[in-house]
Amino acid sequence: MEPDYLATVLLSSVSSASILLIATIGLAVVFGLMGVINLAHGEFLMIGAYAALTATQRGLPFALAIPVAVVITMLIGACVEVLIIRRLYGRLFDTMLATWGLSMIFYQLAVLIFGTVTPGIGMPQFGITIGRYSLAGYPLLMIAVAALMLAFVYGLLTRTVYGMKARAAIQQPEIAQAIGIESARVNTMTFAIGCGLAGFAGAVLLPIVPATPAMGFAFVVKAFLAVVVAGPVALTGSALTAIGLGGGASLTASFLTSVAGDAVFFVATAALLWLFPLGISASWRRRM
Amino acid sequence: MTLSERTYTSAGWLFPAVATAAALAAATVVDPYLAYVATSWLIFGLLGLSLDIVWGRGGFLSLGQTAFYGLGGYVGGVVAINVAALGSLPLLWSLPAGALCGAIAAFALGAVIFLARMGPLQSTILSYTSTLLLWSVSQSFALTAGAATIGGDNGMSNIPGYAIWSRDPAETLGPAGVFAVVTIICAAVYFITRWLMTGTFGKVVDCIRIDIQKAELLGYDVRKYQIASFAYAGAVAGLAGAMFGAWSNYLNPSIFSVQEALLVPIYVLVGGLGTLAGAFVGAVAIGGLSFWLGGGAVGGQTTLVLGVVLVVLVLFLRNGILGTIGGIWAQRLPGRDAAAKEAGAVSIDTDVLERLLEDAARQFGPAKPLVTRDTFKRFGGVVSVNKVSRTFAPGQPFSLIGPNGAGKSSYLKTCIGIYPPDAGCISIGGADVSRAPIFARVRNGLGVKNQKPQVFGELSVFDNLWVAAFARTRRREAADRIADQILTMLGLQHQSGAAAATLSHGQQQWLDIGMVLCLAPRVVLLDEPAAGMTNAETRELSSLVRTLARHMTAVVVEHDMEFIRTLNGHVTVLHQGAVFAEGDIDALRQNDQVLDIYLGRRRHV
Repeated sequence: MEPDYLATVLLSSVSSASILLIATIGLAVVFGLMGVINLAHGEFLMIGAYAALTATQRGLPFALAIPVAVVITMLIGACVEVLIIRRLYGRLFDTMLATWGLSMIFYQLAVLIFGTVTPGIGMPQFGITIGRYSLAGYPLLMIAVAALMLAFVYGLLTRTVYGMKARAAIQQPEIAQAIGIESARVNTMTFAIGCGLAGFAGAVLLPIVPATPAMGFAFVVKAFLAVVVAGPVALTGSALTAIGLGGGASLTASFLTSVAGDAVFFVATAALLWLFPLGISASWRRRM
Repeated sequence: MTLSERTYTSAGWLFPAVATAAALAAATVVDPYLAYVATSWLIFGLLGLSLDIVWGRGGFLSLGQTAFYGLGGYVGGVVAINVAALGSLPLLWSLPAGALCGAIAAFALGAVIFLARMGPLQSTILSYTSTLLLWSVSQSFALTAGAATIGGDNGMSNIPGYAIWSRDPAETLGPAGVFAVVTIICAAVYFITRWLMTGTFGKVVDCIRIDIQKAELLGYDVRKYQIASFAYAGAVAGLAGAMFGAWSNYLNPSIFSVQEALLVPIYVLVGGLGTLAGAFVGAVAIGGLSFWLGGGAVGGQTTLVLGVVLVVLVLFLRNGILGTIGGIWAQRLPGRDAAAKEAGAVSIDTDVLERLLEDAARQFGPAKPLVTRDTFKRFGGVVSVNKVSRTFAPGQPFSLIGPNGAGKSSYLKTCIGIYPPDAGCISIGGADVSRAPIFARVRNGLGVKNQKPQVFGELSVFDNLWVAAFARTRRREAADRIADQILTMLGLQHQSGAAAATLSHGQQQWLDIGMVLCLAPRVVLLDEPAAGMTNAETRELSSLVRTLARHMTAVVVEHDMEFIRTLNGHVTVLHQGAVFAEGDIDALRQNDQVLDIYLGRRRHV
């Protein structure tokens, strides 16, 4: 096999793994710091996409539409945390059911407001060529975006007061409360950030994945699996599983078919869960 | 017993029987269109029932029930079409085929989830994934199987309807007839399920939900029960799917859709989780509501309404209709739990105990020694059990002592199988069990009482003992007898019917010990059994342990030195995961090094 082709395939696989990682980070933050699985995560992604779409349709440049999407999803996320999630702390499955119901509400609202078919926005036209092969530039840019998001979240959690409080609240909740950290407020912030990251993902991926009401379902199944396979050390673990599973699936897909790629993803997930029934990070010593 | 009490205890079959009769009577008079729509509610109720078995009773929130439902529907449809083409009665074949297919799919998924002992979150998400996977696969899945054609998005049409006499496919039943047939099938499945879930199988399933570790410590292979109940629920879901196909004469991939899957937990929650009948109540309530609102079977904004309903239910009405009614009714009955408050002191009758233990020895052979060789367990950088080699034999009680963090409980948990050892070997009566799961060690003669009292709080005191006795004997009569004997010995006869959760902490400790005795273990491990007991109770416990030690190997982890002194046995001191000293308690009390580590003095810390 010629090296040019191999390099092209590798690059595009890393790029689709990065796209999965972008969609996963918000979920991993919420799960890792609050122990909550937000089944409406995909719909926050969808809200972000529609927010960015609407903003560009109103004449805002795409680069400015992204922060709009983040702010909107963060606000909605904060409201959801205060109204629903907060009442269900410690009840993992009730939270899942409630956010599941929420995801249906968002979905149906999107159908009502935007209809089922919406125009996409054009992908920024730039690209690179490797030998005879040319690749679209925007998906490749997502590798950098994923890396930046990881760095951002890492910095947020280690370099800011909020981050220290959030980590304290997850590691020793009682001690954290005893020294005056108001965990409820920290959690609202965490959930809002998780939703904001989802909104960012929806917006930044808009040129690649057009906004539709159902985009959430299609998109987040793999994100859920990546987080669940990652286990308790959600951030590092999810970064690993998203890159590994997503990259593997996409490599398979480029050599065989996309169905084979999905099959590899699900089979690898089941195999990993078989080997690590509580997630791959269940016995790790680090906490982030 | 008053009429109200009698009705309350038989409510689970009385009211469903009345409802079945009422539905059959109504079938002849109601509007045919209503009968037609109401048939679908019953089928959805059956689907809800399958989730209630898994979730309400088994404790596993499966979001994959619609996967089994849809599979059952498709397979049932294919079978029905082909059977009809051959000129036989479709229902006779399609319903069992649907149920079988649902059972096989659930068995396969359940085997993966339960044999791997996945975490609850992992299990739920995996079940959700299988639904989503089927949804996406079915949209492009095209197949021609005999006379039947599955056309991806277009689905499968011409599924034969309900016909029970005529072999002519054109002569199917009218709406009222279909409603009656579906009512009878649903009632039959409900009563079979109820019989199963109130019987021995159901009791064990309940125990697994309440405390899976304790169920395994009684010697139940919990995975088999979990897989079996999951497969049974899959069969119920598959049956419901096949019935749905015959009702609508048409299936398409939307049967696997998220909206469809969302309905199932809603039915269960509206009716009342864990009540079995609640699934039907919920399905009829939701179906009736959307019918009344004018949406018919599938309304315009159903998704939106259902999403809101689910959120509201989870937030505010966790018990559902039947759960709330049952709760209010139970409060008005004379409390069966009241007896728990007026319990007397426990007194161990040594004669009864000796006889029980001799019985056990005759039946299960002599006491077995517990041997560990170089057992080693590490957590990250902390070595909790550092190459401990000990032989515990019957004759005298063995005590393990040591300061906090010495590794006593970790060592015990390694012997039990809660922690797999990293190296070394553990044997019970010569059989190597180092890698064996907990229940296999228990079947080998191990009996365990953990630090906290582990009782099945929702079950009655008698049932707690009975479940333990049944785990060993596998015969109901024998279990009845043994549970009765232990109950009498613990002095808990008057609390026999009270829920175990209503007992005091000390009584729960005794009940837990009683459950261990029901197992007639050949080796017994007790982790801080005297914690939370009064002085009088501690004295009883001491005499109990000494009696036990004459008939079996007995190992006690304790902090209470006075208690250990009264045991008058062999004492091992652990320090930093390793054996530090041993001998009798008086000698150890004179030992400066032991005092050093207990008091934190410099030399040996």
